[in-house]
Amino acid sequence: MDLDFTAEQVEFREQVLTWLTEHKPRESRPRDDAGIREYDLAWQRTQWEGGWAGIAWPTEYGGGGLTLLQQLIWYEEYAAQGLPGIDACFVGLNHAGPTVMLRGNEEQKSFHLPRILKGDVIWCQGFSEPEAGSDLASLRTKAVIDGDHLVVNGQKIWTSSANCADFQELLVRTDNTGSKHDGITWVIADMHTPGIDIRPIKTMEGGAEFCEVFYDDVRIPLSNVVGEINQGWSVAMSTLSFERGTAFTANQVRLAKVVEDLIDFSRDHVGPDGRRPAIADDEIARRLARSRASVASLRAMTYVGICHTMKSDTPGPRGSMLKLHYADLCKEIAALAMDIVGADGLRNSSRWDPMGWVGNYFYSFSQSIGGGTSEIQRNIIGERVLGLPR
Amino acid sequence: MDLLPSEDQRDLIAAATDFLESRMPIEGIRARDGQPSAVDRDAWLEGAELGLLTLGLPEEYGGSGRLLDDEALLFATLAEHLATGPFLTSSLAARVAAQCGDLDLVGRISDGSVLVGLAELRGDGSIGPEGIKGTFDLIDCAGVSHVLLVTELGAAIVDLDEFPDVETLDSSDPGIRLATSTVTAATVRHWLPSGTDPIWLRATVLSAAGLAGLANAVTRLATEHAKLRVQFGRPIGVHQAIKHACADMAVASDAAMSQTLFAAVCVQSGRQDALFHALAAKTVASRAAIANAGATIQVHGGMGYTYEHNAHLYLKRAHVISHLFGEPTQVLADLLEQGAPQ
Ligand SMILES: Cc1cc2nc3c(=O)[nH]c(=O)nc-3n(C[C@H](O)[C@H](O)[C@H](O)COP(=O)(O)OP(=O)(O)OC[C@H]3O[C@@H](n4cnc5c(N)ncnc54)[C@H](O)[C@@H]3O)c2cc1C
Repeated sequence: MDLDFTAEQVEFREQVLTWLTEHKPRESRPRDDAGIREYDLAWQRTQWEGGWAGIAWPTEYGGGGLTLLQQLIWYEEYAAQGLPGIDACFVGLNHAGPTVMLRGNEEQKSFHLPRILKGDVIWCQGFSEPEAGSDLASLRTKAVIDGDHLVVNGQKIWTSSANCADFQELLVRTDNTGSKHDGITWVIADMHTPGIDIRPIKTMEGGAEFCEVFYDDVRIPLSNVVGEINQGWSVAMSTLSFERGTAFTANQVRLAKVVEDLIDFSRDHVGPDGRRPAIADDEIARRLARSRASVASLRAMTYVGICHTMKSDTPGPRGSMLKLHYADLCKEIAALAMDIVGADGLRNSSRWDPMGWVGNYFYSFSQSIGGGTSEIQRNIIGERVLGLPR
Repeated sequence: MDLLPSEDQRDLIAAATDFLESRMPIEGIRARDGQPSAVDRDAWLEGAELGLLTLGLPEEYGGSGRLLDDEALLFATLAEHLATGPFLTSSLAARVAAQCGDLDLVGRISDGSVLVGLAELRGDGSIGPEGIKGTFDLIDCAGVSHVLLVTELGAAIVDLDEFPDVETLDSSDPGIRLATSTVTAATVRHWLPSGTDPIWLRATVLSAAGLAGLANAVTRLATEHAKLRVQFGRPIGVHQAIKHACADMAVASDAAMSQTLFAAVCVQSGRQDALFHALAAKTVASRAAIANAGATIQVHGGMGYTYEHNAHLYLKRAHVISHLFGEPTQVLADLLEQGAPQ
């Protein structure tokens, strides 16, 4: 075993660092939807122009054609600079892009993939519905074939970034005669199509990062179907396993930085007793040390995961273990921060603020819900990793 | 970068597993309960012959010269099978003796004729090249001739005879033997400063490996039981209270093992943050082993609470190892003092 990076990888890291130092955004991320869209796309475009977009994507689709290890290096340096998450571009880069790459036809690939990488477009994910959350396969948004179009009627919910998205990976029911997993179709929806109505939902953190989306006779060309009609479940599953695998690397690196920031903060700030630095409190000190140990183990698991993935290509159910561990730690660390700031927790903040511990704490509750709840991850681990009966 | 066991390493684990299952079955712990020593000396000699004590010892001293990640996998495997006897201290002592030039002792530890137990200072006292002083817990020192002491500054080998009035105590773990002795002045046979070879760091990583092995073993035990035990007409593993407990165990033991191997490689390659990662490994592995063992008892119901079942043996071993080479609270304090990892 070794943790060595090759000379080439070390050089790559240096290039990343140099480039990031020169090109990283200087302004903080705006709070309004239009501002976020512009900011995230501009930053993606800058990365693309610098040759850093889609590092591990194949070159034929405009990517760097490099390995997951190089992708990891990029994320490590990226997060170390304290740069923002790729929030609005996340679905394009981590779900829709990879899915189109795996299951799309040539036309779909050549149209969509470069646009995602270049920062021309934002994607959103229209999977969840009011009656289909954890039980995603029970989704009911209906699509019927009319000539060379699908006509969609129904409703999605919790669609992140829907209000600033150009395209949507949309799951619709095209047949309800068989089992619920059959009869689902994965289709690309242009969010500007007439009949789509988007209503933002305010979250407990205060922002409106997700939306309800209503479809009223929305006409989508059949050529936008990825995979076959009624084969959407298997197409969707390739996306989800991506989300639970490689896509977490960046968040995990960022979480490690949060812990380090929190330790520094606890040294410099008076703790809940109003007298001593927070870190002088034994309980706080131990919880900080445990958080350090835990995020280190998360990183080690990520490395092991990358080694597995590089041998077998798809992340598989092991990704659920990472996602679960990550969600638990996010919540634990965010709650620790609240205990450290003490009564300063009465003052609201945003997770985008520097040291925005209160906003971060509120946000942390989403981590064990979005992308499949922690209970569902435990089911997956129990059944698919450990082989327990259903 | 590669953190997956190589084919060579998988062979090593398989060979150790074979040996432990056939020659050191867990049942032996109960069979020797009440006897002065927990060790089956014949099996010990065979284990020595197999090279279990000298895997990491440099080849020039007759060892296999394998790297710390190999040793971590070995000590995880030993713990998974609740191997009895002072494997860790004997193999670390061989390393100390080798570097102190005592080739005779190296040879006798390697062939299994000399066993080296562990002494842990409890409360005030001192351990250094000039001598040792204080009250010590003696762990697995029954029938041994030498004792290893490990501090952050260095490691000492002391003759057991130097410990006066050794009083045998009832050990919480039936798989080890415990005694105590108060030393006012004792001579140190060998002292190896950390600067020459960081024995404490190795001990920390290898005890983390043992804990990760325990965490792993009980996860398997609980999962197997959850598949087989039927209540209400179905295996109990269909219920989420049980399934999710097993899933949490799997995550905790995976995190513990991943971090331990990560730390082993860091120590091996002399990375600057090696200490950080070793302390982190000990922390996550202690918690994983103790929590998983507790959960495993619960998954087994009444049977899990019996002496006859193995679950409690894992729990008790987990507690023992978590206290070796640094109290958990001290490990946390040391960890917090480190700079950010690389
Ligand atoms: C911040 C955020 C962003 C999101 N973004 C998107 C997005 O962009 N696109 C999208 O399609 N969706 C998105 N979601 C939706 C998310 O995928 C769902 O919320 C999630 O799958 C849970 O579904 P639900 O909300 O209907 O809860 P439910 O499924 O109703 O679950 C409620 C509770 O019951 C538990 N539960 C349900 N079934 C089981 C079971 N079988 N075993 C044990 N417990 C169970 C759950 O774990 C949960 O605790 C987002 C959610 C959040 C919080």
